[in-house]
Amino acid sequence: MDMKRGYYEDIQLFESNVVLFWSISFLIFIFTLPLYVPDYHFYLLNLVLVHIILAVGLNILVGYTGQISLGHAGFFAIGAYGTALLMLKMQLPFFLALPLAGFIAAFFGFILGLPALRLEGPYLSIATLGFGLTIMQIIGHWDFFGGRTGIQVPPLDIGFGFILKTDVSKYYLILIITILLVIAARNIMKTRVGRAFVAIRDSDIAAEVIGVNLTAYKTLSFAVSAFYAGIAGGLFGFVLGYFNPEPFNLILSIIFLVMVVVGGLGSILGGILGASLITILQFSLLKNIKEMPYIGDFLVAVSNRWFTVVGLENFGSIVLGLIMIGIVIFEPLGMYGVWLRIKKYWRTWPF
Amino acid sequence: MAKKRFLIFPFMVVLFIFVMSAVSYGAAPGFDDKEIRIASWGPMTGPAAPWGTVNRGPAVICAIVNEEGGIHGRKLKHFARDDQYNPAQTKVVVKELVEKQGVFAFVAGTGSACGMAVKDYMAENKIIWVAPAISVKELISPVNPYIFALMPLYEDEASILTKYVVDKMKIKEIGVLYQNDAFGKAALDGIRQRLAKNNMKAVAEIPIEATDKDLSSYILKLKNSGAKAVMMWLTPSAAVIALKTAATVNYKPEWVASETLSDLGLMHRISGGLWEGVITGAFVLPPESQHPLMVKYRNASTKYTPEERQSLFYMAGNMFTEPLVDALKRAGKNLSTEAALKALNSTKNFQGIGPKVTWTSNQHQGTDSIQIWRCGPNGSTILLQDWTSNELATWKKK
Repeated sequence: MDMKRGYYEDIQLFESNVVLFWSISFLIFIFTLPLYVPDYHFYLLNLVLVHIILAVGLNILVGYTGQISLGHAGFFAIGAYGTALLMLKMQLPFFLALPLAGFIAAFFGFILGLPALRLEGPYLSIATLGFGLTIMQIIGHWDFFGGRTGIQVPPLDIGFGFILKTDVSKYYLILIITILLVIAARNIMKTRVGRAFVAIRDSDIAAEVIGVNLTAYKTLSFAVSAFYAGIAGGLFGFVLGYFNPEPFNLILSIIFLVMVVVGGLGSILGGILGASLITILQFSLLKNIKEMPYIGDFLVAVSNRWFTVVGLENFGSIVLGLIMIGIVIFEPLGMYGVWLRIKKYWRTWPF
Repeated sequence: MAKKRFLIFPFMVVLFIFVMSAVSYGAAPGFDDKEIRIASWGPMTGPAAPWGTVNRGPAVICAIVNEEGGIHGRKLKHFARDDQYNPAQTKVVVKELVEKQGVFAFVAGTGSACGMAVKDYMAENKIIWVAPAISVKELISPVNPYIFALMPLYEDEASILTKYVVDKMKIKEIGVLYQNDAFGKAALDGIRQRLAKNNMKAVAEIPIEATDKDLSSYILKLKNSGAKAVMMWLTPSAAVIALKTAATVNYKPEWVASETLSDLGLMHRISGGLWEGVITGAFVLPPESQHPLMVKYRNASTKYTPEERQSLFYMAGNMFTEPLVDALKRAGKNLSTEAALKALNSTKNFQGIGPKVTWTSNQHQGTDSIQIWRCGPNGSTILLQDWTSNELATWKKK
């Protein structure tokens, strides 16, 4: 049933009319989301969308090309600071500043891609780690970037007299950009470039032998991935309204990597699922632990008995960690693997 | 077969709605007939966790108020949330507190960037923020009608401490060791302003980075400059490293430190006793003070929150909440945000365990007064100078 009979069947955006139908239904659903969901959730949803852009981009690098990056928080920061500063200091309109910041990030991605030609595995991760930390030091020490205090982003003026203020209006902007970038990523993967990435991942020597230019494609992969991170960072700045260098740290880079691994390496859907799950868990899981019905009192008792005074606040991290470990142990393909299983189950249901 | 594939998406969509609706409530007002909800946020986990202590303190004063029958029959309920010192998280927890729990006002709240990220959101929703546990000039100028600041500005504190060193201790050679950020630079401004008034100049002004671990070259510079007093605006760990390094090169100036390093018990312990003799500014009475209110808070803390260490910053959480409780009492039985704002704006010379606080509708920096302490044996507190204000404060001139 999934048999492909020709090349053009393989590169279609929608595999069948069924997929097309449900994709459109899903799009209608997410575009009408403000009708069913209270406004309160849209800040979190915006963060989810931003992280989806980033995870899809990171997956191009990690999942498809087989390179590793512990410096993506750096690209994320370049995007955030780039967009805000281009608008503040050079009065560029938003729709120019955002892609420009993305390209600045992509340029740094290209630079970082150069050592990737010689380095692999742990060595590459150290190089990228160094990059991430350096960027934060530079931004933190330079008054032009607002120093350690941080900067206030300008109003989100998208031109034509529209200034987006509410979370819901920002949601629509970010949603449209996310959809475009996700479709772009899916299409890149079905072109010559995408196949070159996969060839490098599977064996870079073999890829070179069959004519893939390693220099070009490895740096390209870094650049594309950094571009996605830059765009995500630019939008993140507006979701937040005010930011400082502190949060763009090593832990954030690792969280990004976790999103991709938990979601599923080498699949667009994996990036989306992983980013959604990890963001929601990290930002809203067990935050209101004391006020939760039934288990709240129980957890408070456990914390008072065995933990320190701030033990309660650690439950969120503990559960997040357990979920991550659980997924990686029981489903090596990540959430994408879970999705495949659900699909398979329904295909043969009820037998 | 295709029919079954049709079922996957609705299944997902239904699941999504279910998850989202399970956690959604309507936006609640800040109070009802039974209770008034107040909240604080700060880092409770992660590397910045020690700074979050102050945000659990208000639980004590709330317990006392409730024991005494509440405010006009309404009990106080306090929420404390962990934001891991990350502005993105702060916004999530603040939105949750405002829109789900229905919080009337915030007290304390740690992290400059965290506070800056949520201040506009709070103003839009008419949420009052009393006594941020940060000292940031942007919060008070221009006047934000919903923010009532209490922490003395770092520049005021630095100015008062410098005056003490110059006038009382008669030291002319002053060196400054400051963290190279807004916190350190604000203090440097205050020191320069005070010294300029006395036609003096610091013999050394040395910026250090928060991440610097080796301070030996800076300490040697200070020693060579002949500084007899060194004023430091640093993180606790950097301050301890500075003292230890100075001890190894046998350099013994008078050390003067900021209010952020005034938890003498803690500093004495982590410096291995070197903190003894250090002079610090202070924005709250020492936790071992015999002031009747402090005794009351200590007893209540022993009773209601026995697991907490009664540290300086934990007790300071009460100091930050006192003016709000006072204003709510004065606001009367017909509580509303407007009534509370009116009461807060008419706060005049209110004093609990902190300095005297005055807020008017066009001046929301409540005080510039600090005490000056010296660290005694075993981290005890020796009072050098009672509440003193800064006659050079820039924000007072209009």
